[in-house]
Amino acid sequence: MYLTKEEERIYDGELGWANQICMKILAHLGELFGADKLIPIDSAHISGVSYKTLGDAPSDFLKALAKANAKVQVKATTNPHSIDKGYICRKIPQEMCQKQRTITKTFEKMGLKNTLTCTPYYLEKPKRNSHMAWSESSAVVYANSVLKAWTNREGGPSALAAAIIGKTPNYGMHRTEEREPKAIVTLNTKLKNETEFGALGILLGEILDDKIPAIKGLESASKDDLKQLGAAMASTGMVNMFHLHYDESIRTENLEKINVERKDLIQVSQKLTTSTKKPDLVFIGCPHCSLNEIKRISSLINNKKTKSDVEFWVCTSWHIKEKAGKYADKIEKCGGHIITDTCAVVTWTEKLGIKTIMTNSAKTAHYAPTLNKAETIFTPLENCLKAVLKE
Amino acid sequence: MQTATILKGRRIVEGCCKAEALVSKRPISFLGGVDPADGKVIEKNHDLCGECIKDKVLCFPHGHGSTVGSYVLYALAKKNLAPKAIVNQIADPVVVVGAIIASIPMVDKIDITKIRTGDLLEVNATKGFVKIISRKVMQARCI
Repeated sequence: MYLTKEEERIYDGELGWANQICMKILAHLGELFGADKLIPIDSAHISGVSYKTLGDAPSDFLKALAKANAKVQVKATTNPHSIDKGYICRKIPQEMCQKQRTITKTFEKMGLKNTLTCTPYYLEKPKRNSHMAWSESSAVVYANSVLKAWTNREGGPSALAAAIIGKTPNYGMHRTEEREPKAIVTLNTKLKNETEFGALGILLGEILDDKIPAIKGLESASKDDLKQLGAAMASTGMVNMFHLHYDESIRTENLEKINVERKDLIQVSQKLTTSTKKPDLVFIGCPHCSLNEIKRISSLINNKKTKSDVEFWVCTSWHIKEKAGKYADKIEKCGGHIITDTCAVVTWTEKLGIKTIMTNSAKTAHYAPTLNKAETIFTPLENCLKAVLKE
Repeated sequence: MQTATILKGRRIVEGCCKAEALVSKRPISFLGGVDPADGKVIEKNHDLCGECIKDKVLCFPHGHGSTVGSYVLYALAKKNLAPKAIVNQIADPVVVVGAIIASIPMVDKIDITKIRTGDLLEVNATKGFVKIISRKVMQARCI
């Protein structure tokens, strides 16, 4: 891989250890994936922020970077961490909250904006055709497919290195030819709600391997539906984007053909439900809710109150919560909690006594059995609300 | 006299060392799979479960699991619990980034089935090869 004179100087340590180690990460990964050079990026989004997933050891490296005066060169945002600002925080040991705050502050010290959300695109929409280095797989798929920005699926460390150098290796999703579809998916059924889009994502992730699909039949899908599709697809597969069929003029003759029937989606949905018990938690907001989703929840609540024995969480970013104003207030007045900066998957639901989670998110239903040691019930928003609201 | 076997591979992170091999047939996840407090493999049902990776030439097919596993290799190195070198069948981003930030010599594209736990190895990651200096002495079995 070609490095400019200036990049070589950074590689050799002339700008200090922090820049050197970040340049080494980018150069070695670039070599590994066959990149020809580094290219400038507009933004970086960094995962690996939650103390629940990180544990104690990883923060050593982050602290060392911050201490060596590492500073991000481009707009850089953070994924959710393990606590919110109030409700969850009051219920878990303060020592754990403190450890989380220390990690989060380390990112701030390096110049990252602590957005603490998996949907950074609601805060600032990336420019079409701009190059980025994003981790958080659901945001990567959404950015490539819906927003038409260009990013590989970075890991937490490589996204951070890219933010500090302001560049990323030119390979994979940064090249036009590698964004071409390799499979064509025909939906022989009309998708009716967000859980069917999620189920489709889980199914495609499992069968596509890393082949980018063009999906016929998504013409009437909303952006929120496509967010569910992409998040689920990234949970079970290595695909970084999908094409909306109407959007491209695609030559289909050499592509793998996949047909999806209603029975396939039903089968996937059934597998995402592991329990017939009553839920301890009804969780909406994986990925974090858009303003539209909050408005929809608020209008469906209809002045009803939550049951006393079921928790109701709506997770979003603080940015969307502020914007949501009266809609957010209505959810809280009914007994629900608008929770920001975290979500059910990255916080300690086990410590809150939550054993069964009901959700409309296929991604959460896929991960909760392992990451939360919880049983799952996967069902659309209307059913979720029925389960948590009094008649 | 037995001649030393040389396995040619690809340099990932430069450096040289001489140490004993610890070989796994299975991918390793550093986050959750290795205890950063003592360097022991803790992943249940792993063929190295209970083994300590400190000062070994750690040979395994490739990494898997969370990308923040790279940070665990750094933490291990800071406590002198890291392997002396890493030898992979195929390098993956988690282990590559971990080896870079922890300054652990690393080569890949090596046929690790040729190496047995306990073999004394010379790893020259700068030149991209692994030399089996001596085989582990098999203990005589009483029949």
